Amino acid sequence: MSGIPRIKVSNHHTFYYQYEFSLLDALEAQHIPATYNCRGGYCGCCKVRLLDGEVEPVQDALVDCAEDEVLTCCCRPKGHIEIEIPEEE
Amino acid sequence: MSYSTFSTSNHDATREPMFLGRSVNVARYDKQKYPIFEKLIEKQLSFFWRPEEVDLSTDRKDFMALPEHEQHIFLSNLKYQTLLDSVQGRSPNVAFLPIVSIPELETWFETWAFSETIHSRSYTHIIRNIVTEPSKVFDTIVTNPEIVERAESVTRLYDELIELVNVYTIHGEGKLTVDGKEIDATLYNIKTKLYLTLVSVNVLEAIRFYVSFACSFAFAERAVMEGNAKIIRLIARDEALHLTGTQHMINIMASGADDPDFKQIAIEQKEEVIKLFRDAAEQEKSWAEYLFSHGSMIGLNARILGDYVEYITNVRMKALGLEEIFENRANPLPWMNSWLVSDNVQVAPQESEISSYLVGQIDNEVGDEDFEGFDL
Repeated sequence: MSGIPRIKVSNHHTFYYQYEFSLLDALEAQHIPATYNCRGGYCGCCKVRLLDGEVEPVQDALVDCAEDEVLTCCCRPKGHIEIEIPEEE
Repeated sequence: MSYSTFSTSNHDATREPMFLGRSVNVARYDKQKYPIFEKLIEKQLSFFWRPEEVDLSTDRKDFMALPEHEQHIFLSNLKYQTLLDSVQGRSPNVAFLPIVSIPELETWFETWAFSETIHSRSYTHIIRNIVTEPSKVFDTIVTNPEIVERAESVTRLYDELIELVNVYTIHGEGKLTVDGKEIDATLYNIKTKLYLTLVSVNVLEAIRFYVSFACSFAFAERAVMEGNAKIIRLIARDEALHLTGTQHMINIMASGADDPDFKQIAIEQKEEVIKLFRDAAEQEKSWAEYLFSHGSMIGLNARILGDYVEYITNVRMKALGLEEIFENRANPLPWMNSWLVSDNVQVAPQESEISSYLVGQIDNEVGDEDFEGFDL
């Protein structure tokens, strides 16, 4: 897959990755309400479901994640991806 | 099974279960069954800090100027934190080390408990700096009924597990009567108690601590007691790591991949686990009532803190794959996040004060004479 990775977020909009440090930073730049605490890969608050596509790590994730879950503070998209962030409120 | 400080058997520790297998022989980390614990150890070591690095001279002045009911909130909260870390500084070692069977997990327990002792030392540092007679604070910890009640529920499972393991290491497996008391030291019962103890430790670190952190940070949000908040921030960073550790252990156990018994135990004890969470949440809410019994403070009162208890309980239960027990709500204390961020974030140290940067190098005393050389 080539070109700028496209990030589709369920229940929110789809946008192009602007090469922020992490997926969490990318979501924040788009004002998508992504939860976080430690931003260091160990609290697990930024866990989301990766529905489609692949991500690559930018820092070590120390939290127990299921097969289809990723920590947004620890990765960035490798190509086009689709994620689902847990609903709060 | 009696405990051996160095098992000379030539077994492969990566084939042992996390707990109640053979005692650990060589403390080696080249081959690991669960590399996650090694990662946690390394992270914890990279977090190393000392309380004396944080200057508290302005906190003393801030504390003196606080109204009486806010001094009550601050000191009671600090006493509670002191209690929690007194327990955590020793109990993981006493309870888990005799039954752990893999080296990386054994070392994680020791690293974890050691960092808790740093936390205890920092409470002394804080108390010594803000009050003239530290004894007055420390001596009232075990005489305060509100705190003692908490201590009992925090330590009950630890103590029960330790008792069972003591009997098991002396007499071996089985049901027996010790000093007229029936004790079920069967492996299955010890495993059940171990599972519940880990859940109660998770509750302690993931809920009880966070309620106390919220109080500490609420003061600093108003720009008072900032040195204290700086220390609590370092403690919070450690605790986030510890609770990840216990969540890992609990999830590995419940999956049954490590020891099939635990899969069964996790199913059988599900109601009990939910009850541990619910009871702790209720206790924390009544603790909030006690804290604010003489009056609220700006930005925080018993109701908001109670809402936070419910919010954080839901978050922690979800992390263990459990259903939420309280109404789903947004974080009632959104400003907590900025205090919980670790230093891995990419910020230039000169732009934002980061907790691993500063320390001990700052002169907090600024007087008029310092501006003498300046002209406007």
